[in-house]
Amino acid sequence: MTCSAAKSQLYAYVDDELAPETRWELERHLAGCEGCRRLAELEFAFREAYVERFRPDQAPERLRRQVRDTLAVLRRRDLRPRARRWPRRAALLLGAVGLLVAGALLGVAVERYLGTRAVLVELAEAAVEQHQRLAREELPADIGGVTPQQAAEWLRQRLPFNVQLPDLRTEGLTFLGGRISHLRGIEAAALEYRIDGSNVSLFILPEEAYARLGVSDTRFRTFSHRGYDVVIWRSHGAGYALVSEIGGRSCQVCHAPGDPLEAAGGSPHR
Amino acid sequence: MARAALFEELILKCLDSLYGYALALTRNPQDAEDLLGECIVRAWERFESYDPRLGFKPWIFTVMRHLHVDRLRQSRPLEATATEEDAEAPNPLYAIPLAPEDILARRETVDQVREAIRRLPPPLREVVELRDIEGLSYREIAAVIGRPVGTVMSRLYRGRNLLRTYLLEGPHFPERREARLGRDL
Repeated sequence: MTCSAAKSQLYAYVDDELAPETRWELERHLAGCEGCRRLAELEFAFREAYVERFRPDQAPERLRRQVRDTLAVLRRRDLRPRARRWPRRAALLLGAVGLLVAGALLGVAVERYLGTRAVLVELAEAAVEQHQRLAREELPADIGGVTPQQAAEWLRQRLPFNVQLPDLRTEGLTFLGGRISHLRGIEAAALEYRIDGSNVSLFILPEEAYARLGVSDTRFRTFSHRGYDVVIWRSHGAGYALVSEIGGRSCQVCHAPGDPLEAAGGSPHR
Repeated sequence: MARAALFEELILKCLDSLYGYALALTRNPQDAEDLLGECIVRAWERFESYDPRLGFKPWIFTVMRHLHVDRLRQSRPLEATATEEDAEAPNPLYAIPLAPEDILARRETVDQVREAIRRLPPPLREVVELRDIEGLSYREIAAVIGRPVGTVMSRLYRGRNLLRTYLLEGPHFPERREARLGRDL
């Protein structure tokens, strides 16, 4: 474990929230790294000095009296015959089931209407919007000053899916940082790069979320939105969206010039 | 009767925590009291869904949070409510935790640190309070706020780093920066 990875785990360590194997790895690192061990000791000291002494704000006495009054009223209500509540509950339940069925039917109709491409376009638009915010530094990196692999490891420990970096082969690609981001309500890993003065954002989504978009194959899909080029594809058990302003060269982020352009699944770009 | 007695006992036992969480959500004592009152009534109506194995506090905090979001939607339908976007609010901090050595050397009081927590942007304050004051696990907090554990960890990380910045920069944390954080949240 590197110092950067160890530092990123310190809060979870002092909170006793690490999985046993990660805890073991971290403790092994702490045993051999004085700097990180010192940081951990300080975190424990901070916890002892402050956190363990925190108590919730005390509710005012007047509020306590009101709450006791409310509870007394509820207790009296509870004395009513319970059977009277069932017809209302049954009606509510039936209503809820009806709404669910109607919702499901509506969902199918909407999905058919939108079609897979429309959903992917929405994903591309969301990726562009996030890319712009990342490039403007409105969404600063959660982790920086590390290699992309270290950032991916950091994100893997915080996201419930396999954050697998594609094989990036372009020369002159500088890694800026990574953060947890959101695309259409889907929690994703965002990795920010720079090439020839332009920012490039790579978003990695859980495969289940990508599959829910209705796309079953691994083809690359390309879109152009607000002057940005977006490539969306699936491989390594995850979905990917790459946003850049470098036109056709965006494929060369993953492929060296002259490479046959094929996704990990073997299907060519279309 | 046993059901009512149990409910009453559980509510009174965590009344301070409920009030504290209501304050964290509303940031206003009067609104917090209103929210708490409504929460108790709603929790009573849904008490049959409470599973004692999962703990009362996470359950009733979830009830309170849903109620708070409903109230926000009703009163300010055109304004953004607490969503995942909150987690992405600008935060000028970096990934490496700030060493609390200087903070410890200053011998801040517990109340001063609590005051600094109150100044955190709402989504960050919420998870820091649920963890550091209420002692909920990451998984329980995720259930309360309806977000994945990864988001809880990320918000905790940002919240605690920002808290340390407040403490290091003292009570006169630059107003411009704080105002920007407040606006964007």
